[in-house]
Amino acid sequence: MSEVKALTGNKCAALGAALCRPDLSAAYPITPQSSVVEQLADMVYSGELDARMVQVESEHSAMSVVQGAAAAGGRVFTATSAQGLALMFEPYFRMSTLRLPMVMAIATREMTSPETIWSGQQDAMSVREAGWIQCFCETNQEILDMILQGYMLTEDPRVLIPVNVCYDGFYSSHLVERVEIPSQAEADAFLPPYSLPAKLDPRTPQALDPMTPGELLMKYRRDHLESMRAALAVIDEVDAKFAAAFGRSYGGCVESYRMEGADLAIVTLGSACGAARDLVDELRAAGVRLGLVKLRFTRPFPAERVKEALAGVKGFAVVDRSVSFGWDAGPMYVETCAALGESLAGKAHFSAIGGLGGADISMAHLRETALRLAGLAAPGRAETLWLMD
Amino acid sequence: MSYIDTIKKLPQVMTPGSSACQGCGGELITRRVMQLAGNNSVFAVPPGCMAGAGVDGWSYQNGCTAPIHITLLDNTASFLSGVSEMYQRKGRGDVNIVAIAGDGATADCGFQSLSGAAERGAKMLYVCYDNEGYMNTGFQRSSTTSLGSRTSTTPAGSAINGKEQNAKYLPLIMSMHNIEYCATASPSHMMDMVGKIKRGLECSKRGFAYLHIFSPCPTGWSFRPDESIDVARRAVRSNIFPLWECERGRYYLSFDNREPITVREFVKSIGKFASLGEAELNALQASTDSRWALIKRLCER
Repeated sequence: MSEVKALTGNKCAALGAALCRPDLSAAYPITPQSSVVEQLADMVYSGELDARMVQVESEHSAMSVVQGAAAAGGRVFTATSAQGLALMFEPYFRMSTLRLPMVMAIATREMTSPETIWSGQQDAMSVREAGWIQCFCETNQEILDMILQGYMLTEDPRVLIPVNVCYDGFYSSHLVERVEIPSQAEADAFLPPYSLPAKLDPRTPQALDPMTPGELLMKYRRDHLESMRAALAVIDEVDAKFAAAFGRSYGGCVESYRMEGADLAIVTLGSACGAARDLVDELRAAGVRLGLVKLRFTRPFPAERVKEALAGVKGFAVVDRSVSFGWDAGPMYVETCAALGESLAGKAHFSAIGGLGGADISMAHLRETALRLAGLAAPGRAETLWLMD
Repeated sequence: MSYIDTIKKLPQVMTPGSSACQGCGGELITRRVMQLAGNNSVFAVPPGCMAGAGVDGWSYQNGCTAPIHITLLDNTASFLSGVSEMYQRKGRGDVNIVAIAGDGATADCGFQSLSGAAERGAKMLYVCYDNEGYMNTGFQRSSTTSLGSRTSTTPAGSAINGKEQNAKYLPLIMSMHNIEYCATASPSHMMDMVGKIKRGLECSKRGFAYLHIFSPCPTGWSFRPDESIDVARRAVRSNIFPLWECERGRYYLSFDNREPITVREFVKSIGKFASLGEAELNALQASTDSRWALIKRLCER
């Protein structure tokens, strides 16, 4: 029987990981992720969780230790934020390109400089070309659920790509919500034990990653890209299996909220979706035909689903909590435009950037975004809107 | 069984052919370590001469008969501590977990992960073959390059002549991590080296074991390949590279060098020291003497 509790996002990440019975977790504390590590340590040290816990001296080593354990045939977990993610980039890239499955939570945080410890998605966005699957959560329940789903997804033989479960630092990591916690028996019934063979085992000796010539490397890259594409369908399958087991479905890669008959759409991700839902309700009540497209996965980018979701709108704005240097826009705006391709013509659209360095994305900001969108007469790109003050 | 019989009888784990240079100290060390650890091992060999020589595998060829991974230059110890944890968890602590890394991957960019794994007492044997520089990329300076040495990034110039700093003395730093076992070895003293590799493997079942092995490099240091063992012997005899071991905080001298030769005798025939003047040789002799004195005192009962 599941249990209902009021929990922070970090606690949900830790509980989610524990329910998946990891063999090992290795992590290094960093704001706002630290309580994930503390929770796991509590569970391991109290004997509640039978797992190895390695308290490493850096995030570079955190990712390296879990990489070694995964190569030796273990189910592994870690969590980080911002500078920690940047420090671990070297083994992080290698985790995905070694095709070793794992789940890593990212309590997203703005990147320094200027010096900051607060929320923002620049960390996760900056590594979106490192070959990982990345999903973004709106609620604490979703964090817990996506950790469970993440292991099923990453260990699927059609996928074998590590998964980031991202959630907004502080807004989600530290705020408390009502959460249903599955029982261990329910989690076990959903997620089978880890069964992939160890890559480094004297019983099956092999060189893991010998020096590889270009033509073979290209094959590996193509396989990786194809598995990314295949993951799009697996994400939906896992969502359906999860719904069957727990009665909660998130819509797979993309969720559309009140997009029926919508003329206008806000596209966003993470905790901002909560405020965006309220705004949609408010403006719908006022006669504005606005809907929300919630991007749940950014890698693989669900281009077809986004295109379908926005097929009927005259205009859309993408609200990013990070920037794409060189595009004068948020990264998900750029990618949404790329996904729409020719169907972009005829639509009015712009990038809205907000919530950097812990700044709020308020109802007022989203209202400003929607009303500006409603007022755009001509199709094409309008100037980037900065959600400030 | 004598150490010669041991070497003769144990099967080779490293491939018979490798593209290491003639007279390579690193290859000799790697062969011995792999042979003594055997096939019931997981090896990690990061980028460096031994990876370049093909021990991790190259194109479609294997470099050894045991499972092996080319770790990142800076994560060998942390990667292996994950492997080691999993083997403990599986109840297969009999599997030897062994790193074979150069001095750059050990003393420089790999030092943080090495120090972390040692402090945690990760169960593994970490072997550093110290050829005193980044030889695989063309002999650039590392922190273990000795004072006055000519490298491709500390050339013998008219304004500055070779490396201006003393070598970082890593084995002593490692022994201060309170590890199970720490020792220095040289391929010139093979019986001692074989014994220490065996002891290191035994101690790796209880915690972290570290071996720092002198690795002469004819190509980088500029001496004749057939002189490698002689160079290594002179390093030990001149106290440039003292042989000692430390087990759980107790230090033992492996070779009590009662009649040391001078540093001048060590550097003769080694090209990287060719441009050293009197002052530099005296400085090298002084730092060698003070380190020897320190080691002797640590080993006193």
